[in-house]
Amino acid sequence: MHVKGLMFDPYNNAYIVVLRDEESSDMLPIWVGKSEAGAISMSLENVTPPRPMTHDFMKSFLDAYNAKVISVVITDLTEHTYFAKVHLMYEDSEYTVDARPSDAIALALRSHAPVFANNSVISKQSSEELEQWLENLKPEDFGKLDS
Amino acid sequence: MSTADLPKEQDLVEFRVDRILDEANTDTKIVVLIRQDDAHDTFPIWVGASEGNAIKLALDTMITPRPMSHDLVKSFAEHLNINIQRVVIADVKSSTYYALVHVSNKGFERAIDSRPSDAIALALRAPCPIYVTQDVLKRRSTTNLDAWLAKLETKDIGTPEVQET
Repeated sequence: MHVKGLMFDPYNNAYIVVLRDEESSDMLPIWVGKSEAGAISMSLENVTPPRPMTHDFMKSFLDAYNAKVISVVITDLTEHTYFAKVHLMYEDSEYTVDARPSDAIALALRSHAPVFANNSVISKQSSEELEQWLENLKPEDFGKLDS
Repeated sequence: MSTADLPKEQDLVEFRVDRILDEANTDTKIVVLIRQDDAHDTFPIWVGASEGNAIKLALDTMITPRPMSHDLVKSFAEHLNINIQRVVIADVKSSTYYALVHVSNKGFERAIDSRPSDAIALALRAPCPIYVTQDVLKRRSTTNLDAWLAKLETKDIGTPEVQET
């Protein structure tokens, strides 16, 4: 999936990372905190901070021993919480590490690794999460992006 | 970074995280390190709010339902058998501190450039010792930090808000 963008969700006072599958047009919104959204947005906008931010450090940590991020996968959605896994390649072995989607996506963008979502996650969220969020959204909630 | 650039053992002074203070007027927190062998010697470092929370969570040994960013780094280290040996506050330039995270794997040592906040958040989780070089200790700001810190402490420190995804 492709990281389409970031939105502010005034109802939950959080940010939404929107993932989109370019072929099927499936959308997957993932709610993340403010600092996690910042980490993702810096990558999307190709901003290089003067000092390494947490996910830049995370990448340096893996680079130090030539460990590569092969892919990240959004694996599950349970009670409004998304789960993700980071797939690493290190010395010809593959490792799978449990992560929050926000960390996984921030790392994938820095490592130029693809982001995938399980089909079950896409079907689950389309039935509950987005509709629920849209229902709660009021017209006055728009236009507060700078808050 | 080559090993020649690394500070020598005798130049390192061990510190530990004593507390995290809120800077009420700005979106920052202050990590107060105290010298392991001299509790009167404090070393404050200003960090961002979320970085401060990451350190506070580890200091309070809170277990979060989902792995936070530094838990993920620790998890990478465990999976790849990388040993997090120590973190060193190794330099200061225009009031910005620079840290190095020293790691080893099968005898290969590396020092990874990081912000002190990431280094400390990781050190508490690893766990591994935190050092400040003699050079940085000499060059730190000489303002009366103790008096200033005492004033700050009257403002209580709230529990960090954990933002889960």
